[in-house]
Amino acid sequence: MEQVKITVALIIAVLLQWTMRNVAEPMAYVDFTLIVIVYAALQRNAIRAIIYGTLAGLAVDALSGGLLGASAFSKTLVAYLVSEIARRVYLDNLLLRIPVIAAACIVDDLVYFGVHSLLGQQPNVPVGTTIAYSLIGTTVAGTLIYIMLEFSFSERTRGRRRESLSARRSSRRRNPIKLSK
Amino acid sequence: MVERSQQEVWRLTPWLVIALLLLNFVLMAFDARVDGGQRVIRVWTQTVADFVQSPVTTVTSSVMNYFSSIATLRTAQTENEELRQRIQELEVELEGTRDLATENERLRKLLGLREESKYRILPTRIIGRDPSIWFDSAIVDRGSLDGVNLNMPVVSSGGIVGRVTAVGPLTSQVDLITRDKSGVGAIVGEVGESNALGVVTGTSKSDLLEMRYVSGSVEVQPGQIVYTTGQDGIYPAGLRVGEVVEVRSGSATTPHVILVRPGSKLESMQELAILLYEPPKKPEFERALPNVEKGRR
Repeated sequence: MEQVKITVALIIAVLLQWTMRNVAEPMAYVDFTLIVIVYAALQRNAIRAIIYGTLAGLAVDALSGGLLGASAFSKTLVAYLVSEIARRVYLDNLLLRIPVIAAACIVDDLVYFGVHSLLGQQPNVPVGTTIAYSLIGTTVAGTLIYIMLEFSFSERTRGRRRESLSARRSSRRRNPIKLSK
Repeated sequence: MVERSQQEVWRLTPWLVIALLLLNFVLMAFDARVDGGQRVIRVWTQTVADFVQSPVTTVTSSVMNYFSSIATLRTAQTENEELRQRIQELEVELEGTRDLATENERLRKLLGLREESKYRILPTRIIGRDPSIWFDSAIVDRGSLDGVNLNMPVVSSGGIVGRVTAVGPLTSQVDLITRDKSGVGAIVGEVGESNALGVVTGTSKSDLLEMRYVSGSVEVQPGQIVYTTGQDGIYPAGLRVGEVVEVRSGSATTPHVILVRPGSKLESMQELAILLYEPPKKPEFERALPNVEKGRR
């Protein structure tokens, strides 16, 4: 079920990536597809995350003036790196995921810029500024989207929430301290 | 379905990553070859994306128009009075122009001249912008079904905008002149009146172009207008490119470097026009030259 949900989230992310820049120029600094790919990689299913990275990257490249396969290349690499880190380090806490999405964004941008430079295609924007804005936009949007995904998608979180609520209720019932007679 | 153990998955992953990275690298290397052709994957993705981009653009532009019309209502009364006065002035001018037009038509008939357009103009609208922040291409809502072909020039009221680089049945992709790989044969001043010939290319700034190879012995001043020469085989001659904003003077042996502000507002434009223009065929002797294949790319 979670696989279907992440696939739907990825399709929505690709559609947003295709349309949002024409609605509002600053939205171009938010990489929606990267946010979902990093989320998928954090679920410890590396193969799925890598395939998602390639497919979403190709979908973005096809409408971009850049090289076909460049975004797919950088996102595949990012998905692999994040899933490897998630395998070794406990990253279930939202606060720990914020630096991960920030680092993923920097790596993605640097790899994307790097492969273009390597193949003689110079992007027509200032590199430092673009990476900085992209880092801010993607990290802020990523944090908000992760909170949303955690609360609406994750069965585990829902289960955990239910457990904690029932524990609080039962502890209240068992409270031996009586304030009034 | 075959269930794989976690260890097996982790063993398999690096190989899959290497395979996918190689595949993407081959795609990139293939795409980087400057052969002027277009990729099937781009064409089909554009066609699919059109079903999302067109409705989103229609809805957002109508919402924006609604709010901007509310904002303009505030200044409407003052504007109305000014316009009434202007109409009266224009009516007087119009009378004079009518006389001139009749005279012009009469003289044309006398000389046997016919009014004819050099190329057809296809109005179009931007429905999508480059999804990556690193580049600045645009998707427009006209495709091969409307007669659009690769490399056709795209213009706006301010001047040239770019050229068509991928054509789907319903949509086309336009690469802007601000891209560093773009090159427009241009001249400072009107063709035939100046010899400040050069090539306009993109810079790392979206609102600035660079004109190179203009002889250092030719005088160029800021404020002069840059036009196309038609020698690049893409843009017809006489279209406005932009205005000279800075000249880094060269010498008798080194060329000028001229900064040009594009005539079109490339960041905010929505309505464009595609010129259904086919460049004139090269003469036979030129096609027989040994580097002809390279030149055609």
